[in-house]
Amino acid sequence: MLKIYNICKSFNDVKVLEDISFDIKKSGILGLAGPSGCGKSTLLRCIQKLESFDKGTMECNGRVCFMFQDFQLFPHMTVLQNLTYAPDLKDRDKKEEHKNQAESILKNLGIGSKAEKYPVALSGGQKQRVALARSLITNPDILLCDEPTSGLDVSTTMDVVSLLKSVNEQFGVTMIIASHDLDFLTKISDRIILLKNGTIAVDVDPRQCDDPVNYLKKYY
Amino acid sequence: MNKVIPNFLYIGSGVLLTLQLTFGGVFIGTILGIVLSVLRYSGIAGPIITGIISLLRGTPLILQLSFIYFIAPSILGFRLSFLWAGIWAFGINSSAYVAEILRSGIESLPKGQFEAAKTLEITRFYMWKDIILPQVIANIFPAMVNEVIALLKETALIAMIGGLDIMRRAQTVAAEQYEYLMPLCMAGVYYYGLVLSIEFVGKKIEKWKPYAKDS
Repeated sequence: MLKIYNICKSFNDVKVLEDISFDIKKSGILGLAGPSGCGKSTLLRCIQKLESFDKGTMECNGRVCFMFQDFQLFPHMTVLQNLTYAPDLKDRDKKEEHKNQAESILKNLGIGSKAEKYPVALSGGQKQRVALARSLITNPDILLCDEPTSGLDVSTTMDVVSLLKSVNEQFGVTMIIASHDLDFLTKISDRIILLKNGTIAVDVDPRQCDDPVNYLKKYY
Repeated sequence: MNKVIPNFLYIGSGVLLTLQLTFGGVFIGTILGIVLSVLRYSGIAGPIITGIISLLRGTPLILQLSFIYFIAPSILGFRLSFLWAGIWAFGINSSAYVAEILRSGIESLPKGQFEAAKTLEITRFYMWKDIILPQVIANIFPAMVNEVIALLKETALIAMIGGLDIMRRAQTVAAEQYEYLMPLCMAGVYYYGLVLSIEFVGKKIEKWKPYAKDS
């Protein structure tokens, strides 16, 4: 579904990604782990084409959508408008269909009652669900999530694990999740790539390890 | 004392000209300011636009007004009335400030808003029209109200080319009656009243922002 060959990326002579190569198959959840500044977000941004890479190639069969760490909802639009604005622009004849689809996704994610609210009136967790819903309505094949548990407590992190897992199962969306939280990633991913200093330090299936968190910590 | 009311009314009849110059100037200034901003951000003639803005902000308004009223006719081939010369001079001058206000408004938006629009495959036109500008306009509104107030006070320069605005009328009364205190205080009352009215309307509009309310 996504193949990346020898991607390199530098910012002002500082090498952020060096020779990154991997491929992912449909419907899996890939965790991108590593300490702050190791290149996780940059790699996601390169996949989404928000950044260009200096060297390497990428093959992608399908639509990619990006869920930002700080959600980036449009503050002057209601939750429903946040979801339907882009699809309505592409196909103006299907506005009613988009509205129904958006309401159904919101209901599915447990925030059906928030459709007419503005983002300012939502909690952090609700904003995250809206951001997720806004990505899902575009029918992505691959969903890129940048630090989805940043700043969340343990119980909310567990909510995010079950939310993303259920989205992965229900919508069949392949996910790449960047996070520095190893505990979270080992619970959600079926494969983890740990980046260190811009290179792949380890590529592992956490389900095959007895203690995946400690195993990954060795490479941190 | 028996001249107080006639003087007050005479000075007050300059309010219309002051308002024409202010709102005419703001209208032209806003349109030209948006054009300057778009040209600067689209990369067309960026350094030239930056130079024009710098020149307009770096020279006195009275100089620009004199240029348009006294020198431009020899270039254009016709003379503008003092009203239109004033509106264009105040508008052109204001456009530089509006362009700077817009720049600060655009730069204050998180980069992620542009990126979110890009990831949702929203075209540049709709991104600017429906995502960026509505947020920028809401953010810069208080600064735009300040610009209107500043321009209102600057319109007193129209006296230099013969416009009978509030200030010019106050000076005329003062010169005729050898009495400065009362006419100047009257002019001050008119200007202050106009500024308070603009502030009042501005605050009312500013408060009308449904998405800023936590409900």
